[in-house]
Amino acid sequence: MNLMLLLNVAWVALRVNLMRSILTMLGIIIGVAAVIIMLALGSGARYEVDQQIKSLGGNVFVIFASGRFSGGARQASGASQGLTEMDALAIENQLPQVSIAAPVLQASGQIVFGNINWAPSIIGVDNKIYQAQSWQVVNGRTFSDTELASAGRVAVIGQTVQRELFGAGDPLGQTIRVNKVPVTVIGVLNSKGQNTQGNDQDDIIFMPIDTVRKRISGITLSSPKAVRSIIVQVIDERDMALVEQELDALLRQRLRSTGPNAPFRIRNLAEMVETRAQTMQIFNGLLAAVASVSLLVGGIGIMNIMLVSVTERTREIGLRMAVGAKPADILRQFLIEAVLLCGLGGIFGLSLAVIVTSVLERFAGYTAIIQPEVVLMSIGFSALIGVFFGYYPASKAAKLQPIDALRYE
Amino acid sequence: MTSNETAGVVLQTRQIEKHYQMGEQTVKALKGVTLQINKTDFTAVMGPSGSGKSTFMNMLGCLDSPSSGQILVQGEDVTHLSAARLAEVRNQYIGFVFQQFNLLPRTTALDNVMLPLLYTKNSKAAAIARSKACLELVGLGERLDHHPSQLSGGQQQRVAIARALVNRPAVILADEPTGALDTETGLEIMALFQQLHQQGTTIVLVTHEPDIAAFANRQLVFRDGQLLSDKRTVPANASDALRYFRQTKLAEALA
Repeated sequence: MNLMLLLNVAWVALRVNLMRSILTMLGIIIGVAAVIIMLALGSGARYEVDQQIKSLGGNVFVIFASGRFSGGARQASGASQGLTEMDALAIENQLPQVSIAAPVLQASGQIVFGNINWAPSIIGVDNKIYQAQSWQVVNGRTFSDTELASAGRVAVIGQTVQRELFGAGDPLGQTIRVNKVPVTVIGVLNSKGQNTQGNDQDDIIFMPIDTVRKRISGITLSSPKAVRSIIVQVIDERDMALVEQELDALLRQRLRSTGPNAPFRIRNLAEMVETRAQTMQIFNGLLAAVASVSLLVGGIGIMNIMLVSVTERTREIGLRMAVGAKPADILRQFLIEAVLLCGLGGIFGLSLAVIVTSVLERFAGYTAIIQPEVVLMSIGFSALIGVFFGYYPASKAAKLQPIDALRYE
Repeated sequence: MTSNETAGVVLQTRQIEKHYQMGEQTVKALKGVTLQINKTDFTAVMGPSGSGKSTFMNMLGCLDSPSSGQILVQGEDVTHLSAARLAEVRNQYIGFVFQQFNLLPRTTALDNVMLPLLYTKNSKAAAIARSKACLELVGLGERLDHHPSQLSGGQQQRVAIARALVNRPAVILADEPTGALDTETGLEIMALFQQLHQQGTTIVLVTHEPDIAAFANRQLVFRDGQLLSDKRTVPANASDALRYFRQTKLAEALA
């Protein structure tokens, strides 16, 4: 018998017991769908993490000053100072592996435009921030050197701030009040959307770092050039470990710190995200493993039904043998039936997974990516389950004696 | 070409025995049967149940193998062939007709008849043409697409006979083919067998009704696992018997 004919015979056999075939398939459908959904959610989460790392840059350190700003209390004379803009310059000039070191100073406060109040992240920066954090000004311009040097009353705003304060109107040239200081909007940033923690990265307003230090932040700083953090971009990602050591040595020297508790912390953000992602991946792998157990249970269901089918059709088997079917023909017939059952289950399971993941994406905000190899693998794997769990019933059928099978009541 | 073929011997058994183990006891179903079935034979096999006639038929049909002795099909010794080779022998040389028809349900008459050809290397077009011809031969040329459930018992048995003929076998083995049919339909089937026999088909038929056996030209009687008698007779004409039966029935209905 050729393959088309065998497939046709198997198809007819499955259609005759339509309800039973569907119920049997359900096990495989659910198993395949569960595995694909889990893997798709895993791939989606992985994709988000990669995007976030890309936006952070895998080659970026953030150095935080620690303990210098709490309460704004001045340290005793001779005690080490906090991070300053000079430290950023030193890093950039003395470490050849560093392309840029951008000083950052955050402040908290309210901004007001007309009768609207809003409280975004207020961040003092210089023009290095755009390269260090992959920002672009999509409308307007960046700060001029004069504005940076003279604590100019200008701001570049994120898209959320633009939307909340100005709606559809043009923000450029408008004056807003930041902690009651009038500031002119000169630029709008590109949109970065939410980060993986769900924080809105566009709810942000940039001002020259001196402006924030002198006019906006109400706190007294330990040094006239104090910054809260420095964003350091390394030229080659492979130098990250070396640069971390060099940063530590350089800053300890500059801040005259020797003890175990340095007054700064060096963080590789991409690494932090990666670590968190790995935990998530392990969890996801576990879920996929649990899902594949249901696939196994589905396979056992297939075996069960195939055994029933062989028993029910013993006389048919006897007849086929009497008219010339060899044991191998019978084996093939039942094996193909099992494989067809599982293969169809795999295809339906895939369809179910596509539906469920698109619903999750649309209504629950998940990112799910069904990889093409996962599709091929799951359908191939379910067909393999058909072979594996179909073999025993099929060989049982093939081993029947024609005379016993014909006489079977 | 062996001497058996030239002599027109289709099937041959030599001292075949069949033993079954029933717990402690060994039951001898066949106790050494030696027999030849010739090309021109229309053989009726008779005997009470337990006489060994069914076991003997299974041996002839290569469905079962003897405990000892030899079976030859068209001169070829098939006693010790593998299951796969036996399947080929059955496919090539033997056509089966069963008491319960054994048609595949939910399958058309044409597909049922084509079944043995699926296990050969025939092209599909040739298989369909041959199956149609066989269904026409048994008088069912108009019912190719009917399922068994849409056919009467007699029609179902005709489909089964067409299936047995489809491979041009050397012999047709029919196990109580009229057992599940009423008298009139049974006579119709016997008339069909006689017609096939006249066209050159070798037939071996198991029955326990002497009336049916009378339509054959050779009668074998089994008892206690042995061949009791082997007679050749002039067969009664099944078509005449059918005509007579119908006239009587008509007369009874009118009276």
